[in-house]
Amino acid sequence: MSATFDAIVVGSGITGGWAAKELTQAGLKVLLVERGPNEPHGDYPTEMKAPWEMPFRGMGDAEEYLKSYPVQSGNRHFNEYTQHHFVRDDINPYTVGEGQAFNWWRGYQLGGRSLTWGRQCYRWSDYDFGANKADGHGSDWPIRYADLAPWYDKVEDFVGVSGSAEGLASLPDGHFQPPMALNVVEQHVRGVIGQQWPDRCLTVGRTANLTQEKEGRAKCQYRSICARGCSYGAYFSTQSSTLPAAQATGNLTLVTDSIVDQVEIDPVTKKATGVLILNTATGKTMRATARMIFLNASAFNSVHILLRSRSELFPNGLANSSGVLGTHIMDHASTLSGMALMHGFEDRTTYGNRPTGIVIPRFRNLDKADGHGFTRGYSYQGGALQSTWTQGKRMPGIGAEMKDNLHKVGPWKMVLVTYAESLPRASNRLTLDPVKTDAHGMAALHIAFDHGANERAALADAKVEAKAMLEAAGGTYLFGFDQPGAGGSSIHEMGGARMGHDPVTSVLDKWNRAHDVPNLFVTDGAAMASSACQNPSLTYMALTARACDAAVTMLKEGRL
Amino acid sequence: MASTGTIGSMDRRQLLGAGLLLALGVGTPLQLWRRHAEGESDIADVGQRALAERLSDLVVPATDTPGALAVKVPDWLLLALSHGQAGTAAQPTGPYVLARPVGSAVPVGLAWLDAVGRQLNAMAKGDFVSLAAKAQHDLLSALDAEAFKPGNDAHPWHKIKDLILTGYYTSEIGGSQELRYELVPGRWEPDIPITLQTRAFSSDWTAVDFG
Repeated sequence: MSATFDAIVVGSGITGGWAAKELTQAGLKVLLVERGPNEPHGDYPTEMKAPWEMPFRGMGDAEEYLKSYPVQSGNRHFNEYTQHHFVRDDINPYTVGEGQAFNWWRGYQLGGRSLTWGRQCYRWSDYDFGANKADGHGSDWPIRYADLAPWYDKVEDFVGVSGSAEGLASLPDGHFQPPMALNVVEQHVRGVIGQQWPDRCLTVGRTANLTQEKEGRAKCQYRSICARGCSYGAYFSTQSSTLPAAQATGNLTLVTDSIVDQVEIDPVTKKATGVLILNTATGKTMRATARMIFLNASAFNSVHILLRSRSELFPNGLANSSGVLGTHIMDHASTLSGMALMHGFEDRTTYGNRPTGIVIPRFRNLDKADGHGFTRGYSYQGGALQSTWTQGKRMPGIGAEMKDNLHKVGPWKMVLVTYAESLPRASNRLTLDPVKTDAHGMAALHIAFDHGANERAALADAKVEAKAMLEAAGGTYLFGFDQPGAGGSSIHEMGGARMGHDPVTSVLDKWNRAHDVPNLFVTDGAAMASSACQNPSLTYMALTARACDAAVTMLKEGRL
Repeated sequence: MASTGTIGSMDRRQLLGAGLLLALGVGTPLQLWRRHAEGESDIADVGQRALAERLSDLVVPATDTPGALAVKVPDWLLLALSHGQAGTAAQPTGPYVLARPVGSAVPVGLAWLDAVGRQLNAMAKGDFVSLAAKAQHDLLSALDAEAFKPGNDAHPWHKIKDLILTGYYTSEIGGSQELRYELVPGRWEPDIPITLQTRAFSSDWTAVDFG
């Protein structure tokens, strides 16, 4: 069986959806290959379920989780309503470095992690794109903010990002729908911080949840159970947004349950010719050919495909003449830096579940080096919340008195979680495991990853500053941490096929195109040369839209 | 619950359990567990069930709304323990080693309940479940206060109480009558007054997870 297309897009997650949309809308015939099962928009089986309708009250079967989901079940969005949006660990193995831990939290289904993502949308600034060059960690980005700004505009306009323009140099404003309001405690803390620290700003999280209807998508219903899937289409996902746009062109062929094993190459022209696809439903392998390939399988899986695609020409992995393929992977070092009881608002509450928190953008090491023992920076996310019945698990008391207590809205708490920039290091690296294979006989991915001293110093500073800000706002500081969670815990794993000027030190050029293979593009998180401290998805989408535009131009000009 | 005999509860429970097993001709707890695994409902022995019922009722009694017994929290508690919910598939840390070893064919989770039962019987100097309700309330209050002393996080009562509260507040009555449940709020109001009538939401998922 074989098929020929103008382009093949591997992966239907947040960037694969964008590649499929952009390329089909440019008139190309596109094959979109998804390794997991189909999940049509609106057909989200647990979306409307109450806890009492679930066999394990929404928490899932702990016995099953120990056996089949020991890693995935550690994810805060993983539960009985969402477990089908996560991989089974027992049949999707990977290995980690000696003495290391890495949470590779994944979803293999149509839409990938666009169904479960945190939806936070933040632009990078030139503090970020210029960072590698400025302090010498990693290799210089081949682009700057001005290269990406129009693509951020385009992406935000289509995605629908609600947020507040704040005029901050470290977190450029975008094209926003009206923001969701801060709650009464957050508003108070914003005021205190702004007054005491003029260089810091607490604002509502910029989120891909609609506050205005948009092209057949309803506005947010304030359920905040997004990871179950949203039939209102109120948050951006492949299903709600890019896939229908791509399908409307008539140029898209979608296949699910299909794993791309390898990208194939013509040793003479050194161009990619197509992909080998394993259909997991039938066990059969097929070959699809195209004039260009877009890898959007997620950062680590795109690298994994390249590492698997070995040939005489590229014995160490496709597009790896530099030897840096798989190296310099990153994930934000994150931790709960502070939690405080907040006073003075005992007679106030909220209605509805706002699907975003707050953000305090980076303020360290911008125009002056004020990081104590670290370069670059960190930002906080979190918010103020009130307790409900689960506080009873941590309180003494039984009987009618306790029941009466839990009947009431609980006290206000404010939480600040830090995301610190992860420096690119050669030792943090993906390779093929020499022994372990997955259920399909493919070599498992080996992940060697450690956070470094820079990240730990940033988190130590973040804990001190979180306490200072929460106490300045009148809070009673309860606790906080300064050590990062295991690698992967931010679910911002990225890098491994970094962009760069130089084919000797980078895998991709300034158009996300492989230096070695002129018709091969990688536009997901693998392309990242540094991590900044912002949630990365918006940047991945902007890079994808930009690369698609460049690829179409190159194709039309006969340069691919 | 009617007996006030002097036999220790473990003995009594074993006697009751053995008697029941003999009467039913079903054999050992392991076989019982296998039957459960095959889809049958006998998860626990009668002593465990009696204890689960008393503890559930004492923690969440009927007031102006129904309590734990009305929404079958004991069934939930035994199911949850048999599946190791809330971390009960593992042994507790500290001094509270359970009678049943990890790796036993019978779920470890039920041993957490047994451990609480042993302590309550020791405090009762007899059979806790046979005491009058007021005496049970006082003993369980004392055990609860001890378990929530600083540094006593490993006390098995934490898990049992956790699962009783979970069973109640994730039931339809606990979640939507005792508390408020709104799956589709439809709007966000960032600052509204609390009145005497304001009830907490069981559908405030952030509060459920992090409150």
